[in-house]
Order: sequence, then structure tokens, then C-alpha cells
Amino acid sequence: MKLAAHYNKASILITLTVLFAGAVIYFFAINYFANKQLDRNLTQGLAEAEEYLKTTGTEPQQYDLDQDHAVFIKTDRIELERRYFDTTYHNYREDRMEAGRAVEDLCKARGANYKVTITVSRENTKYLVEMITLITLALMAGLLVVLFITNKYILNGLWKPFHHTLKAVKDFNLADSARFSDTPSKVEEFTELNLAIHEMANRVRSDYQQLKEFTENASHELMTPLAVVTTKLDTLIQDETLRPDQLSQITDIYASISKSTRLNQSLLLLSKLDHQMIRDEENINLKITILEKILQFQELIKNREIVIQHQLSDKYIHASKFLVDILLNNLFSNAIRHNLKFGTIHVTLTNEQLIVANSSSATKLPANQLFGRFQKGKESQGSGLGLSIIQNICRQYHFELSYQYQDELHMFIIFFR
Amino acid sequence: MVEDEAGLRENITGYLNADGNICESCERLADAVNKLAGFQYDCIILDIGLPDGEGLDLLEYLKTNLRNEAVLIISARNSLDDKLRGLNIGADDYLTKPFHLAELKARLMAVFRRKTLNTNNLLSFQEIEIDLTGRTIKVNQQAIILTKKEYDMLLYFIANKGKIIAKNAIAEHLWGDEMDMHDNFDFIYTHIKNLRKKLMDAGCPDYLRSIYGMGYKFLAQ
Repeated sequence: MKLAAHYNKASILITLTVLFAGAVIYFFAINYFANKQLDRNLTQGLAEAEEYLKTTGTEPQQYDLDQDHAVFIKTDRIELERRYFDTTYHNYREDRMEAGRAVEDLCKARGANYKVTITVSRENTKYLVEMITLITLALMAGLLVVLFITNKYILNGLWKPFHHTLKAVKDFNLADSARFSDTPSKVEEFTELNLAIHEMANRVRSDYQQLKEFTENASHELMTPLAVVTTKLDTLIQDETLRPDQLSQITDIYASISKSTRLNQSLLLLSKLDHQMIRDEENINLKITILEKILQFQELIKNREIVIQHQLSDKYIHASKFLVDILLNNLFSNAIRHNLKFGTIHVTLTNEQLIVANSSSATKLPANQLFGRFQKGKESQGSGLGLSIIQNICRQYHFELSYQYQDELHMFIIFFR
Repeated sequence: MVEDEAGLRENITGYLNADGNICESCERLADAVNKLAGFQYDCIILDIGLPDGEGLDLLEYLKTNLRNEAVLIISARNSLDDKLRGLNIGADDYLTKPFHLAELKARLMAVFRRKTLNTNNLLSFQEIEIDLTGRTIKVNQQAIILTKKEYDMLLYFIANKGKIIAKNAIAEHLWGDEMDMHDNFDFIYTHIKNLRKKLMDAGCPDYLRSIYGMGYKFLAQ
């Protein structure tokens, strides 16, 4: 539910409640004051009736004067409390019963007691109350419509800068050096929000820049000593007096250096992938790239006498050539590395998916741990980062990577979406 | 060579100071500018991260002074941006640390040859004559046919003649370091065997010597 809708709901609810309560109070108050006014009239009528009683010589007659309707009844009671009450009233002129207000009191005249009842019509007051109720209802309806329109159009307009800011935040990408843009707003809160987001973006960007520099520098610091060791060994092996066992030691050192270099490069690549820093995308025909890759790996494949079968159809993807290269390198490297001598590799490329399947001495692998960093088989010579890199590259392009074990083949499947 | 790491400086100058080549080295950008002001060089090996500035600044210096030296950048930074930036401002090649000395020498020879291709597109070693533009090889005036890998290997060996080259250095040169060789270099042997056979069939002496378990050496004469 949008904030505007929440606001709408609350404001309408409150307005309705207040208007309703107001109408109820209005109704009673008007009734009360109208009665009061009537009672005052009645009191005056009573005084007139008393006067009449005193001046008239005969038995008092029932009379209709103006709207007053007075009735005199002789009574034996000595005392009677004056009381006002609602009653019905017969309008002789229109000959119908109407709501009325009456007063009764005791009057003394020439030694006798009379109960005087004076009744007036309340028709006018009723009409007034009806009118006021109607006007209030109309006011309520009008207010609702106005509120609705205000919320819908004016509030939406007010929120426009907010939505713009929201979109800018959603589109915010650390790797893009484009500045965070905003539309100026007259609303203080939005200006403040924009300012805060600006500051945050700048801070994040500078932190990110620092981190990036740190990663690069760390790699620099690690690579330089490795370069020193490599070149020292290159110099050392020029010594022809080295014994075979010494040479074999040096070969092992070379292997370790190349392993740590690879590891370092993989970690750097992963950190770049995490930050989506590689974005030189272009259209690539995957079929051609795969065929080139098979050619590039043919010596390794032949060396282990692996049979490679491929079934490829044209498939274009929009991706970085550099990353696709690494993706295929890792897929093929794994398929060869973990294969059997005289084993098989099946490569299938359709418009929907790429499958690289290989035979292996290992049985089904635990799919949930497979893509974790530094997860590797006991006999693996790799860094344990290969599949993690494959997964991260797939994630960057919203491909879905899955693993299946079928017919003694380990299958890595990439679904393009 | 401009490089601030003393260990690297020693080994590189030691390796390159042979066959009548002279390699001088310095540690800082300012020294490099001083040396360049006084002498004409063929090639410059340039580290990017130097104590007194970016190595790339030297490229600007070379450009503004219309200098003709071939420049090979050696850097620990493997980022594509740096590579492209270096090559855009006028470097001829970019080598990422760590590297083998043999690789450095081969690349250095390649950029130097490329710079001087107009005047010299023939590379000869003893009775072997290589046409660098046509990528053809003649031994004793007799054309021989090499595969791409064998051709690259021959150039690589000639650039590093007289030096022992480790197997993984050869593998990295021929297949690139992106491809994980799984520490299995058996198949290099096939290419070496074929190259040696073709050269010897054409009348060359046996230049290639195998160094036990380690690698190969292309004899200097």
C-alpha cells in the first residue's frame, strides 16, 4: 500500500468520523436550542393565558391564537409543577396531526384552579433540522470528493521528486562513475533526503574506491615478490652444475609460484565480479567461441586421450569476451582435469542452454557445496575457486547454473534467460 | 629498465646483459628521465608503480620528446583498464608480474623487432633465416614448414638462445597463463620433438638440449 493510499485512508476515516460526530452533536444541539426557544414562547403564551383568565369574566374558553392552542381545564388540585413536554398537535387549518411542544401549569382565577395547557407546532423546527442534516450530508460528500481528488492529483505531484530519487537510488551503480542526479524539490524533506543520499553515495563511492585500490595494491604487493622469486629461479637454473634432485626441487617451487599466482588472480577476479566491475559487453557467438576453446584445449584433451563430442547451434549472448573466455576456460579445465584417461566430454549448446558433461572416477558430487569458495575434491590440483568464478560470471549475466549427475556423467548446465 | 624492486632489477639486467646487449637500470622516474636525456636506447622496460610517480608518466615524456624507444610495461596490475591505458599512451606491450625472464626477453625482442620492422624483417640465426612478416623459415636457403606452435617456439628459443628455459615458462608462452596446464607439461615434448626433427632434417645441428626434468636449452652455436 502506498503512502498516499495510507494517508487517503486515514484522512477519509478521520473526516468521516468528525463529520458524523459533528452531525450528531449538531442535531441534538439544534433540537435543544429550538426547544428552548419554543419553551420561551410557551412561557409567554402562558402569561397571556393567565392574563386572559384574569380578565375574562366567563368560564375560560379553549382558544387558538396565532399558533398557540390553549386549553383550560378546571381542576381540584392546588398545586401543579410547571412542565414542558413533546406532544402531538392537531392543526385545524391543515387538519392533520403534527409534532408539537406543550406546557402545562396551574392558574388561579376567581377562586378556582385551572390546568392550562398550551401547545405549539414544532413543524418549523423539524424542517430546520432536516435542512441542516441535508446540508451537512452534502458537505460530507463534497469534502470526500475534494479530499479524494486532492490526494490523487496534488499529492502525487508532490511525491514526484521522491519517486525520481527512488529511481535514481535503484539505478545507482558503484561501477558507474556517473553522478547521482536529482530534481530540485520545494519540499524540505525531499531536499534533505536528496542531500543525504548524495552524501551517502559519495561516501560509499569513496570507500569503494579505497577498497578497490587496496585490492589492487594488495595484488601488487603479492605479485612483486612472486616475480622476484620467479626471476631468481630463472637465473638459478642457468647453473649447469645443479644436480637432478635440486632441479626437481626447483620445478616444485615453480609449480607453487604458478599456483599462488593463479590463486591471487582468481581472488582479484572474484572481487571484481562481486562488484560487477567488468562491463565491456559485446555480442558473442558462443558456438564460435566454444569451437576455438576446444581447439585451444585439444592438446590437453589428446594428452589424456579423451573423446570430445559436441553438438552446437548458433547462440548469441551479450557479455564480456574476457569473462566468457574465463567461464569456458574453467568449464573445460574442470571437464579435463577431473576426467578419466580415455574418458568423454559432451558439449551441447542450444538456444536455451549450454551443457558440459564429463566422465569421472568420482560419483555424484554434493550440489550444495559445489559452488562454494575453496571447495575442491581431495585429489584436485586446482585452487578451489574455479566453479565459484563460473557461478559468479553466470550470476552477472543472470544465467542459471546447475549441476546434475546422469548416466555416470557430471553435467554442468547453464540456462540462458 | 625502470624498476624499484632491487631483486628484479638485478636478475633482469643479469639475464639481458648478454650477446652484446647492454641493459642499464634505475630505480626512479627522475633517474630514468636523466638517463633518457643523455642516451638513446632501443627498448625501455617500465614498471608502473614507482616510488616517485606513475611509470605511465614516462610514456608522456617519450611522446612529447618524440622519442622512438620501444616500451614494454611490466606491472603487477592485471586490470584491463591499466593495460589499455598503457597501450593507448604508447607502450608497445604489457607484461604482468610475475613473469619468466625468458618471456620478458622474447617479448622485448618482439617489440624491438616490430619497431624496426621497416629496416629489418629478417631474423637470422646461424643457417636459420626467419621472415618475420611472412612468417616463413628457411634453413640453408631451403624452406621448411612449421606449425604455428613450432614457429612461436623457435622464435622464443632464438630470443633466449644459450639459456635454460623451464618447461612451465615454455607452456605459459605457448598457451597463455589463462589456460591451467594442471602442472602437466608432457605435451610440450611432442612439439619440441617435432621442431627438433624438422630442423635437423633440413640440415641443422641439434640445437635443442633437454635439461633433466627441468626444461630445455637452445644452444647458442
